[in-house]
Amino acid sequence: MKNLYLGVDIGSVSINIIAIDEENKLQFKLYTRNSGNPIELVKKGLVKFKNEMNPKDYKIKGVGVTGSGRQLIGYVLGADTVKNEITAHARASTYYHPEAGTIFEIGGQDSKLIIVEDGIAVDFAMNTVCAAGTGSFLDHQAERLGIPIEDFGGLALEAERDVRIAGRCTVFAESDMISKQQYGFTKAEIIKGLSEALVRNYMNNLVRNRVLEGEYIFQGGVAANIGIKAAFEEEIDSEVIVPKHHEVMGAIGIAMLAKRDIKRNNQESSFRGFDLTEEEFETNSFECGDCANNCEVIKVVADGRVIAVTGDRCGKWAASLITDSSTAAALSFNKKADQKPELAESDINKSEDIEVELYKVDLEKEKKVMQELKELEELEEEKLDESDKDEKEDNVYV
Amino acid sequence: MRLSFPYMGPTIVYKKLFELLGHDVVMPPRPNKEIIDLGVKYSPEFACFPFKVITGIYLKLMEENVETLVTSGGHGPCRAGYYGEVHKKILKDLGYEVEIIVIDSPHDDYKYFYDVIKKLKGDSSWLKVAQVIKTIYEMTKAMDEIEKKVETLRAYNDNGIINQIWMEAQTDFYQIKSINEIKRIKNKYLNKLLQYKESIPEVDQRYKIGIIGEIYVVLEQSINNQIEEKVNYFGFEVERSQYLADWIRENAFPFIGRDLEEIKVKGEEFIEIEIGGHAQANIGHAIDFKEKGFDGIIHLKPFGCLPELVSQSVMDDLSEKYEIPVLTISIDEQTADANVLTRVEAFLDMIKEKDLREVM
Repeated sequence: MKNLYLGVDIGSVSINIIAIDEENKLQFKLYTRNSGNPIELVKKGLVKFKNEMNPKDYKIKGVGVTGSGRQLIGYVLGADTVKNEITAHARASTYYHPEAGTIFEIGGQDSKLIIVEDGIAVDFAMNTVCAAGTGSFLDHQAERLGIPIEDFGGLALEAERDVRIAGRCTVFAESDMISKQQYGFTKAEIIKGLSEALVRNYMNNLVRNRVLEGEYIFQGGVAANIGIKAAFEEEIDSEVIVPKHHEVMGAIGIAMLAKRDIKRNNQESSFRGFDLTEEEFETNSFECGDCANNCEVIKVVADGRVIAVTGDRCGKWAASLITDSSTAAALSFNKKADQKPELAESDINKSEDIEVELYKVDLEKEKKVMQELKELEELEEEKLDESDKDEKEDNVYV
Repeated sequence: MRLSFPYMGPTIVYKKLFELLGHDVVMPPRPNKEIIDLGVKYSPEFACFPFKVITGIYLKLMEENVETLVTSGGHGPCRAGYYGEVHKKILKDLGYEVEIIVIDSPHDDYKYFYDVIKKLKGDSSWLKVAQVIKTIYEMTKAMDEIEKKVETLRAYNDNGIINQIWMEAQTDFYQIKSINEIKRIKNKYLNKLLQYKESIPEVDQRYKIGIIGEIYVVLEQSINNQIEEKVNYFGFEVERSQYLADWIRENAFPFIGRDLEEIKVKGEEFIEIEIGGHAQANIGHAIDFKEKGFDGIIHLKPFGCLPELVSQSVMDDLSEKYEIPVLTISIDEQTADANVLTRVEAFLDMIKEKDLREVM
């Protein structure tokens, strides 16, 4: 019987599910397009997993979820580790390529750059306000040119001439592509220009003035595109490695992280089991108007049973649902705190124990000003009638 | 006067200040989606994000027949200095006649500052003003002390539990009538927080993040995607470069700002001249945080903010020279919560992983 760890990556364009064993060997791999209903797709993926694997052969010891949809799916699966995709990608990359120095990761809507030193991520950058230079951008342009995205990269290598496409923005790139087509450039040449524009964009937005070093790893969905890989190699003038499982690296990384967390904390997985594929999930949200914060509270419901509440800053809605012992403990602690009798006057000065540094005040000056104010008060009390003369108190404000 | 002011940080203090001076104070609304949309619609497109939020707040306040708006000015070549005038023009174009009183720093123009204070004090005697300022000062100090403890404890406890104490404290402070009550309320809540003291781990297991940036996005939780709570949620302590008292220290108490000047001097290493806003001070704070043993800096910058754009560009050099990781987050109405969460989480993971270099 094998111990398996599931890794699930809910991206904007694809949903990936993988399973690794204790030795980090890949036992199951599934890459599907995200058509907009992540819960259904994850359920389908799990059914596939169940059908392919012999239930007597394995035990799920841990589950990790990453990607932009990680929160919701984390609740649905009862994940042990829910973490961002940057950490997950870095983990998987450095496992397969311990010498890695720079990781280019281009996904559906995000592009990321991770700088690694001795197997540890030390710096990262992520695209900010613009999606030019990501998978969706290429997808869109491939569709416009009528070329399947799978053939897109290969075609770029057939180009005979160079053409420069403005890659700053998807919309302008498109109009530039059209005008270059009118000039008589071939599709292959335009695709090559586009690949170069994407890489140029990546360099300008993410790399900026960073010095890139070490083995260069290129992963994420777009790494399947050999045209982009070639453009990267030309730009940095060095070989770029595309890992074997480049499209599911995030899922592999999160499974590794889940394994680590389970081992470190010596805990049982909170995975909700394969029965969840039979359940119906639903999410509700409402705005809690009980205070000025107006938090948007989100409830996750499975077969009519609330399994998670999140979004409230005071914690009262989350506490209304006791899912595990830690929340329960926190709640009872909270109650205990509330029930404490009001503090006696004598307790009043015992409170200086949690050390925090308050801003530096010029004590002498403060004392002087406070003294001046006090003198002023006394003076005023003596001469009540004259209290409105401005000149006298002017010095207070100087 | 029936007056109001922009919403920024724990607003209780400003409300209390004007109330004690005998004004009819209308509480400004907390920025939310509706207010931000309103502000974006009626502000120039190229204006910086805080300007747009404040426009939204003002427009919402117009429904309450506010006569006077009190706000602070900026200094140096930062657009905040024009906020008052431009807001006045926008409101006028929309048919609202309202007076905007801009409190500029007394360091720039003492005479003007004096006139403004005279106007705001209304019928109160100067003695009353002195007393009010003393009360407000004590209150701000007490609230800042509690908030700093909240920011430490939230890292090791459920955010909700600690938040609740902080919210109760703010409500209680609001009820204060005299300076004598401040100490009692402060100690009541410090004692409540003290129960959670044991959750704080050993010194070498504590991680601290400093938050620097433009004052409005640093102070106002409702527009900075509750960045502090996010950082706390991942088990990191937080300290900001700006607290409530800072605004008051700069704008109302010309006599207590020594440490701010020291910090500004530190900033001159990277930004030699005054470029407006808090750019120089922010660089100084970043260096100061490093000297205090912090593990990382989160730099918040409103989209379209000139001084912070400059400080962002020197962050790379600063980060390298002082060996402290810096994450810059640009904030405007387009900023998605999930995106900020991903960046912050990855940043914090990166800091922690360095210490958790374990064998696979």
